[in-house]
Amino acid sequence: MRNRDAYRRFVAACALATFVFAAVALSASIAPANNNASSSAAPAPAAALEKLQPAERPIAVVVDHYIDARLASAKVQPAPAADDANLIRRLTLDLVGRVPTPLEVQEFVASRAADKREQLVDRLIASEAFADHQVNEFDWLLMQGQGNLRGYLTDAFRDKRSWDTIFRELLLADGADKESKAAIEFLKPRMKDHDRLTNDVSSLFFGVNISCAQCHDHPLAKDWKQDHFYGLKSFLARTYENGGYISEREYGLVNYLTPAGQQREAKVMFLTGRVIDMPKQAEPDNKAKKAEQEALKKLADKKLPPPTPKQSLRRKLVDTALSADQRDFFARSIVNRLWARLYGQGLVNPVDQMHSGNPPSHPELLTWLARDTAEHGFDLARLMRGLVLSKAYARDSRWPSTERPAAELFAVAQVRPLSPNQYAASLRIATSDPEMWSKLADDKTRMQRATSLANSARSWATSFAPLTDNFQVGVNESLLLANDARIWSEFLSDAGDRLVGRMKTIKEPRGQAELALTTVLARPADAEETQLLADYLSARKDRPLEAARQIVWSLLTSSEFRFNY
Amino acid sequence: MQNPSLNRRSFLGKSLGTTAAVAGAAAADMTLLNALAQPAVAAELKKQQKSVILLWLAGGASQLETFDPKPGRATGGPYRAIPTSVPGVHFSELMPKMAARFAKNTAVIRSLNTKIADHGGGATLMSLGRRDEPSVRYPDLGAVVARELARADATVPDYVSFYAQTEGRGSAVGQSGFLGARYLPMFLTDKSKPDNLERLAAVSDLDHKQRADLRDMLSKRFAEGRDNAAVGSHNQAYARVRGLMASDKLFDIEQESQKMRDRYGPTQFGQQALVARRLVEAGVPFVKVGRGWWDSHGENFETHLELVPELDHVMSTLLDDLAERGMLENTLVVTLSEFGRTPRINASLGRDHFASAWSTSLTGCGIRGGAVYGKTDEDGQKVVDGEINAAALFATIYEALGIDVTKEYHVGPRPIPIVDNFAGPVTEVLA
Repeated sequence: MRNRDAYRRFVAACALATFVFAAVALSASIAPANNNASSSAAPAPAAALEKLQPAERPIAVVVDHYIDARLASAKVQPAPAADDANLIRRLTLDLVGRVPTPLEVQEFVASRAADKREQLVDRLIASEAFADHQVNEFDWLLMQGQGNLRGYLTDAFRDKRSWDTIFRELLLADGADKESKAAIEFLKPRMKDHDRLTNDVSSLFFGVNISCAQCHDHPLAKDWKQDHFYGLKSFLARTYENGGYISEREYGLVNYLTPAGQQREAKVMFLTGRVIDMPKQAEPDNKAKKAEQEALKKLADKKLPPPTPKQSLRRKLVDTALSADQRDFFARSIVNRLWARLYGQGLVNPVDQMHSGNPPSHPELLTWLARDTAEHGFDLARLMRGLVLSKAYARDSRWPSTERPAAELFAVAQVRPLSPNQYAASLRIATSDPEMWSKLADDKTRMQRATSLANSARSWATSFAPLTDNFQVGVNESLLLANDARIWSEFLSDAGDRLVGRMKTIKEPRGQAELALTTVLARPADAEETQLLADYLSARKDRPLEAARQIVWSLLTSSEFRFNY
Repeated sequence: MQNPSLNRRSFLGKSLGTTAAVAGAAAADMTLLNALAQPAVAAELKKQQKSVILLWLAGGASQLETFDPKPGRATGGPYRAIPTSVPGVHFSELMPKMAARFAKNTAVIRSLNTKIADHGGGATLMSLGRRDEPSVRYPDLGAVVARELARADATVPDYVSFYAQTEGRGSAVGQSGFLGARYLPMFLTDKSKPDNLERLAAVSDLDHKQRADLRDMLSKRFAEGRDNAAVGSHNQAYARVRGLMASDKLFDIEQESQKMRDRYGPTQFGQQALVARRLVEAGVPFVKVGRGWWDSHGENFETHLELVPELDHVMSTLLDDLAERGMLENTLVVTLSEFGRTPRINASLGRDHFASAWSTSLTGCGIRGGAVYGKTDEDGQKVVDGEINAAALFATIYEALGIDVTKEYHVGPRPIPIVDNFAGPVTEVLA
């Protein structure tokens, strides 16, 4: 039986190997996979760094430099820039997680300021809604809808904490004080399974899913051996929960079996191969372990924290991963994840497969951005600001006639589904009375109103499918929108503060159609669609209120509203 | 991932070449929609539609009180073993109806060793056919079957799942993983119908239809120049709404005669099995019917005295009904739990969780009737012959349905074999 399993694993590994081979063969730009030094994950050699774009250049300029260079060599002419209404919708969704209000669109389109795009980006990033949106995004990234990390993330993003600080706080939290009580929610639900914890830490923070190295060395991608998986696990294996606190034992070695059945003791080793020398620590005997268990139980009963270890291997992991010569994994991963979020696909895809067998589409750009991010204190707002100010970010999403160029060229903007939170918030904003916004005193008040409306719709988010690779909309969503009573009463209400309520006050079908189009789709209406909806309204003069509702429904469920394009 | 429309076309090309040609619709770009307009083709398709009904025994049914009795042993418990219609093969005396029917269409596998013996982990393993892995979201059995057997433009649901009371909501919810929300189950809890199949009284049928047309026109304008699979799925999800609403009668057992309802019996399990038959008859590829309360840590024998005869009755009625309708050869009925139960009887006369040596049954489509695969030792403590894991069971299910077990999906550049580790099917139970 064991032999057969081993054989099957071998077959599976070979299949994986074939795909890595294929990837290598397709990309002329990378060295053979057995050359460790060329690993995309490993720090770039100094010579390569010197050839990069200068460090002081703005992020957006460097992005366009490398994207344009690749487009030129592929002889692809990129799509034109998106128009202003399209751009403000994209930016507002990406930075604050909702569609813009009609007033925001109007003002942005009308503005003649040369730097109106920078002004808009800065205004959005400075708002509280920016922090709230990051909470939603990172809560999903780190917890996948489980657990209770929102409290911590809210504090962290409102305080504008850097990504390395967040990483440090999440991994080192012990639950001893109020702040750290909120932060242990990352580790706590992961304490039952240290293999899973190891892989989560590895893929979430370092962009490396090494779960397949758990049973055998990664086939062909020479970066990942069992030593790496168990090396990383060694940093985490001593961590435990007791009575609602997190602490670490002073001892604990990680042993594992090789595919050949040999027992090995893991070194405490980071993904780069950096080994932490540990003084030999004898394993306590069973009696001592039993005494330890009893002591821990007593502490837990009294709700007291467990003892703090003299040295923490988690702290060693954090210090190592963030040290100047080791932090490349950490920097490249967050750059790639934010890039994927804002551009529709990563510079490396999938975002947790950053290894030498899976090279980036734009290697120098990723290296430059990682260096820049590390040198500027892992300031996520600064990085996002740079990424959304490029020409590449702001292209039109349409590619008429010929076949769409490969997504990794970034020649045309990607059409991206809204996240559940974005869709829920946008449904609420788009169905509010469009005249309301100009009656509010100032921009700050308007932003606050938009935020409170968005928050009031948050419970809808669980009704929509979370974003995944190969995302699809299922019939559960279309049936919900079509037939659910709460959808009808909440978003098609004719109350005075709602879009349908405002449409009621307009007599003329064209006026109604135009109001609905501009409010929901956040752009000027075109003649053809206005005519289509006006004709429908005219034909339904017998029940004008119902007709207005159906128009709004058809816009809320349209693909244009459901996607960020 | 493969383009579903291409897939549809090749399916049509492979299976219906002659019929389609006879129907005179040999245009190279013929879509399934066109084909369906031809009655002969539609009838042929319907006949070929294969389906699965999964009878999920939540909590862990005892193999010793069902398909692998150990009479006279310390682990055997109070019930006798009775002969089945296959000479030399015995079931628990609590299953007389299935024992009588065994030779016809049912195979039993007695050698599952799935290793995971907690409810959450076991349910996940037996739903996915593989261990859950961080960072890849795998589809469950229902989603894979729906993906492989459903038609893109189906007006019936692809995957329907009834929640069993003790299942635990976490592990009960179906998961379509990287196959996408298209293959998520319609999930039924306490209601007998899925949510949102009925039109609100506030919206007239005409308005409901016309607003869908408006939506469609607006969305088509948007899709111009924006070729995108997710946008495609969005439009497809809305295009299916009215067809699905028309399928609400499928969930209504009032549509069945009282005699038929009596035959299945008055239990929730029986009535849901009847709905499952209605759904499969209409072309739904995968229906999961759950029955809870099997987790008999105490009073195992009382529990099984109540539950096994009900299973025996409902399952045999379902099989008879399917056979009478000529549907059994295209419908695979599977009994499965997250694990079995310990041979050792504990102090509360219960049996605990046990994943090392337990049983499952497969009936109907592609299955060799009367086959027994695998063997446990005389006390049922371990598998002594033909040990298989969850992946091999899944391969067997796929093979029985005619799904290519060597197929791979792709998540980004990463190939994911449809069966974990390329496990092979148990050919001994296949027809």
